[in-house]
Amino acid sequence: MKDNHIIDILDNTPLANISASELRTIHAHIEACADCRRAFEAAQVSSLLLKERANEAAQNSLNANPFFQTRVLAAWREQQASAGVWSFRRLWSATGAIVASMAATTAALAVLTFVAPATNTTNQQTAAIVPYSDESVVLDQDQNNQITNDQVISAI
Amino acid sequence: MKAFAQMKSFAGRGSMEGWLTRIATNTCLNILRAAKRRPELVTSDLAENETEWLERVSDSSRTKPLDAEQKVIAADLAERLLETLPAEDRLALTMMDGEGASVLEVAEVTGWSESKVKVRAFRARQKAREALEKLLGHRG
Repeated sequence: MKDNHIIDILDNTPLANISASELRTIHAHIEACADCRRAFEAAQVSSLLLKERANEAAQNSLNANPFFQTRVLAAWREQQASAGVWSFRRLWSATGAIVASMAATTAALAVLTFVAPATNTTNQQTAAIVPYSDESVVLDQDQNNQITNDQVISAI
Repeated sequence: MKAFAQMKSFAGRGSMEGWLTRIATNTCLNILRAAKRRPELVTSDLAENETEWLERVSDSSRTKPLDAEQKVIAADLAERLLETLPAEDRLALTMMDGEGASVLEVAEVTGWSESKVKVRAFRARQKAREALEKLLGHRG
């Protein structure tokens, strides 16, 4: 029905976006239809109210701090820059437990390596003084390698 | 404050302005949803100056620009009318009819589909128009 079509135009599209041809159709129709005339009038008032509200909101936004966006961006950039410096500290704190266990393991190995084998020290010292074993002194009969008396005594 | 607190979520995709707009829109939408909707606006709810405003604006002198006082009354009346609408309908109507945003722009800001934007705006226009028809029909 034509009435519904007129109202559908009003409800489907913002009043400011209604085309010129549709507007002519509306004006022509409301000349004869009181209901649609009231609907069009209400749509016009509604559009006016919304625009005035938007204008007031825009005016209020102009009174806001003009440097707000600048400050937010500056704070963001600062945060991004400091993220690189602090990333190592964050990494350290996150891996602290692992590092601590590795240190403890290393310490234990050092103890086992340098402190534990204390009983072998005497044998090593003797070996340095007496390079020849008993068997090598007795059995080595190589004439070209005469064993001295000192060597015999030390082997005994 | 919300934007600053959620700064890490801004991965640099798109503009800062679009990101901030999205946060502001969703924040406002949540507030509107939480707020209690007022029942239908009726003539007895109107102040005297609002009734006079409706009478003045509905006659043939509508083409004349509004003075400062009339603009304030209009903005307040619009706010009260919008309070009777569901939050999403209100948002669609405000952005499209008040701020001149396109369907695509509203869809991008809200994350809705274009169909949903159109449906919300249609319902909102219909309700606003019907409410004003009743108010204008009862003027003296």
